[in-house]
This record gives sequence, C-alpha cells and structure tokens, in this order.
Amino acid sequence: MSDMTGSVPRKDWTTRLLLLPGIIWMLLFLVTPILMIVYVSFWTQTTFNISPDPTLASWKQFFSSDTYIGSLWTTTRIWLIVLAMTFIVGYPTALFVGLLVKSKTLSTILLVICVIPFWTSFLIRVLAWRPMLGKEGAINIILLKAGIIQQPIEVLLFTELSVIIGMTQIYCVFMVGPIAFMLARIDRNIIEAARDLGAGFGRIFWKIIFPLSLPGVVVGAIFVSVMVLGEFATSGALSGRKVNLLGNIIVTQVGSLKWAMASVVGVILTVFMGVVIAGFLRIVDLKREL
Amino acid sequence: MVLETAVFHLDGVTKRYGDLVTLDNVSLDVAVNEYISFLGPSGSGKTTLLRVIAGFEAPDAGRVFFHGRDITHLPAHEREIGFVFQNFALFPHLTVIKNVGFGLANGKAPLSAAEVDRRAREMIAMVGLSGMEDRGVDQISGGQRQRVALARTLAMQPKLVLLDEPLGALDANLRGRMRNELRAIRERLGVTFLHVTGSENEALAMGDRVVVLDRGRIIQTGTSEGLYDGPASPDVAHFLNRFNLFDGDLSAGKFTGSFGTVAAPAARKADRDVYAVRYDRMRVDARAAQSAGPALKATFVASEYLGSSIMNFFELPDGKVVEMEHHLSLGAPEIYEAKQDYVLTWNPNQAIVFGREAR
Repeated sequence: MSDMTGSVPRKDWTTRLLLLPGIIWMLLFLVTPILMIVYVSFWTQTTFNISPDPTLASWKQFFSSDTYIGSLWTTTRIWLIVLAMTFIVGYPTALFVGLLVKSKTLSTILLVICVIPFWTSFLIRVLAWRPMLGKEGAINIILLKAGIIQQPIEVLLFTELSVIIGMTQIYCVFMVGPIAFMLARIDRNIIEAARDLGAGFGRIFWKIIFPLSLPGVVVGAIFVSVMVLGEFATSGALSGRKVNLLGNIIVTQVGSLKWAMASVVGVILTVFMGVVIAGFLRIVDLKREL
Repeated sequence: MVLETAVFHLDGVTKRYGDLVTLDNVSLDVAVNEYISFLGPSGSGKTTLLRVIAGFEAPDAGRVFFHGRDITHLPAHEREIGFVFQNFALFPHLTVIKNVGFGLANGKAPLSAAEVDRRAREMIAMVGLSGMEDRGVDQISGGQRQRVALARTLAMQPKLVLLDEPLGALDANLRGRMRNELRAIRERLGVTFLHVTGSENEALAMGDRVVVLDRGRIIQTGTSEGLYDGPASPDVAHFLNRFNLFDGDLSAGKFTGSFGTVAAPAARKADRDVYAVRYDRMRVDARAAQSAGPALKATFVASEYLGSSIMNFFELPDGKVVEMEHHLSLGAPEIYEAKQDYVLTWNPNQAIVFGREAR
C-alpha cells in the first residue's frame, strides 16, 4: 500500500520533469510572441513613433482600407486556387506513385524525384520561373518558334497567374507525399474484392480508394494551406509587387517600422490559419488513422 | 471426360512464374452442390489455382469451364464466382451492412437502396450477425469479420464460392465452430464451395471431396475416408500426417525395413519403396519380438493428451520418431515409462505398402 502511494507522485514528478523543457521552449518562443503580437496590435502608432497606449486605431484602419481588405481577398483567392491546383496535379501523381506502381523500390525512387527541386534554395526555385515565364522566356520562345503564337504571351509573368504557377509547383509535393502514403497503405486485396463484387473502376475509386486516402488529402491540404497563407516571397518575386498577400503587407509594414499594423495583420493571418486547420480536421478523424 | 453433373471443369491448366511452374497441367471436375477442399503444403499451387478459377490470374495454358461455358478469359466479376479472401479484405471505412451490400449497390446491375438494404440484412441474419449492421468492421471480432466476408460474397448469389484459407486467421477454438458454420451455410444455400487449406484436419473434416496438391499437380482426389484408408502415394500419406512412414525395400511381395521382413501382397505403385502404418494401428507388444511379424524396438519419449485419444511418441535407435495413437473409447491408456524400451508392432494386413515393383 505504501509502495503505491509513494510511487504515484514520483511518477507524476518524472512526467512533469520530462515535459518541462518542451513547455518552457513553447512558452518562450511560441506563446509569449503570439501574446506580444496581440498586445502590440493595440498600441498607438504615429509616423515615427510607437507607444503602448491602448487604441483600436490600427484595427479600424485595417477594416476600413480597401488595400488591406483587398489583400485579405487576394490571399483567400490565391490560397483556394493553389490548394485546388496542388490537389488536381498532386492526386493523380500520388495515385500513380502510391497505388499503381507495384514495386516499393520504384515508388520510393519516384517520391525522391518529387523532392529533387528542394535540393536548391527556395528563392532560386522561385526565381527560376522568371526565365521560364518571361516575355522572352523559354515558354514564349518555344511557342513562337513552333509557330503556335505570333506575339509573345505577356500574362505569363508578373501576374496572379505566375504566382499561382510558381506556388503550385513548389507546394505540390506536400500534397503528393501524404496522399501517396495513405494510398500505399491500402490492402490490394480490398480492391480485388471490390472488383470481384462487380464494381467498375469509377465505383472502386469513389467508394473505396478515395475515402481511404482522405486523411492523406487532409494532411496535404493542411501543409499546403499553412505554407500558402504565410507566403510573401513567391508573390513578391513573380508578381512584380502587383499581388499583395497578407504576408507581403506584414513585410512592408515591418520594413517601415509600422509594428502595430504589422501585428494586426499577423493576428488576422494567425486566426485565419487556425480556422482553416480546424475546418480540415473536422473532415476526418486523424487520431483513428495514426 | 466431363461429368454429367459437373458445374465446373478445369482442363490442363498450367501457370508459370518465370521458370517456376506453379500449376502443372491441372484437370478437375466439380459437381453441383459439393464441398471440395484443396489440401497441399505451402507452395503447392493451391492458392494460385484458386486465383485462376476466380479470374485474378490468367493461366498460361489450359481452359476453365463453368456451366459448360469457357470462362478462361472472362474478367473476375463476370464469372458469378465469389471469392472469400484469407485476410477477409473487408472495406475498413464501411459498416457491416455497407460491406455486405457493397456488391449489390455498386455491381454491374446496381439495385435500389431499399432492395440493397433488404438483401444485405437477410444475408447478415443468415450468418448470424443480426444487430451488428451498423458496427464498423474494426469493432467486431475475427470470427464476426469472417462471417461478414462470407455474407458479402454470398449476397451476390454466386454459383461457386472460393475460400482461400478462410479459417487461417482465426484461433483454434473459433476455427472449429466456423467449420460447422461454413458447412451449414453451404448446405442451406446449395452452392458449391471450394476451400483451400494447408491443414489436413480441416481438409478431412470439411470436404465432401479432398483434392491433394503437390508441386502444382493434383496427386489425389477422393473422399476423406478414401484418402485416409488409401493414400495414393507416399506424399499423400505424408501430408495427411496420420501415418508412420518407413523406408525399406520391396521385392517379391515382401517388404524389408528396420522392423524386419513382412509379407506385402497388395503393394501400390510408387516411385520409391515406403511402408505406411496409421498411428492408431500401432500397438505395444513385447511378445512381437519373438514372433515372425513386424517388430520395432523403440524408446518411449512422451505422450500428448488430445481429448478423445492419446498420442504416444517413441524414438527409434536411428532417431526417427514413431507415433502411436490410442483412442480412449477403446479403454484406459497404458502408462509408459519415459526412456524405457518397448516393442512396437502392428497387423501387417492393415499397413499400406508403396513400391516400384507393384502394379
């Protein structure tokens, strides 16, 4: 009896001690900064100064400005389009890598190939699109030489389209990975059983394969969403500053030392991401899959 | 030759994987309303044969007939042959009733939702799972999953059901009960079952007919009794795991082995000389050492209680283990001392002799 009463608190203590470094780390570098951003968003900002007197001025300014609200819409639109594009391009790829390729070795090799672009830095990957999409870029030269077009296509670079193309390419692999992983876990006998019961390919896909891969789609969508919503580099480099995402606004505001406004946008972006992730997690019960 | 009542007919089916011949010229007739067991060691081609019949694999040579129709190149789902997978292959994201109704709702000729529901419930009731319709398949036990898999296949009203080691994933207790259950369900529906198994007990207990496969060939077909009383070759006797097999030499109607020389008037033709004695034909009798009959000096090792009988294990001087089964209905068992020598014998008329010189 004394053994039991003695060991329970000791076990409790060990657990707490093991958790402590993580808790301290998270408090210092995650919770505190987020609380700080929320706090600073209510500070008073003048042209050259900032003081901790509480005010709603920055919040009012955000919601009354067409530029800021417009940027919120642009961010939402580009996020949704890139999400759809990565899914449309990524799902068939994952289907091929995870399910149709029978050899495990080959599917591993294919997944590694998907990651090859990540061997260079992020900025180089983004900037490499410029000589591809530009007015005198590779795509226009090829189309002109082939006689398909007479005039170079100008909407390819420094438009919303170029931002979408760039982001889709960069983030697609984050969609492919989790889906391919889920597909590879499907027991092939299940598909054979469905075929034996008379189901055609379409039925097998929509009733069996897709539902079983859904957790992968959700994880992929969370990865892509978090990264696209926080983006500023791709939009800056490929849109010629015409596409302003919330991320770009934060960069500009911090650049001109407008900490209060930068904090307001930061808080809005964080809440936005939180809602998006919570929404995705409602689609499937990830705990059951892991 | 095709049987009058044959529902299913295999004609010289051959299947190779590279240089490996998994099925070698297999021919077989299966009648309506029959329970057939395929028995063979792993690698004997029994699962491949089942997959060829199901249509998951195409044979390299030979033809498959079903109801007089050549179905060799017909896709699996057009054959009206059901397949129950070894690991059940249930759809993990669907409930019991959705699993059972899957083929009805998504097959070639989808039924109305109400009709699917009605027939799925009927099948679930038949396999004894009423009340579990809305459970997930991960919320039921192994035996219940087996029933769901069976109900899902039977819902399609197949004329032939193939079962790939259907009891392999169940524990021993459950296996016994599912055996009876499978037989009962089959008899109720009057459908032919083809059951693949690596267990000789299962094959002998379940099948109206047992087909023994070895290295891609059918080496014997017969009833359980027929097989038990008259294995066609030393290999069959070995798979049945009910015979002590002795090597030796058959010449001029006499078999000479470690137990002496015994008359063997009714030997069967085989590629080697083997003397087989059923476990339950063995006796301990000290007087045999002096008489002319077979006698083996052996050391008692251990015994194993099997419920209705006791299996006694003896070791010969050369290290070979000989088994002797004593049915408890024949009286209380003798108690043997470990490490003591005994003399084993049997009635030579009950032995089965294989030999090269036999006809």
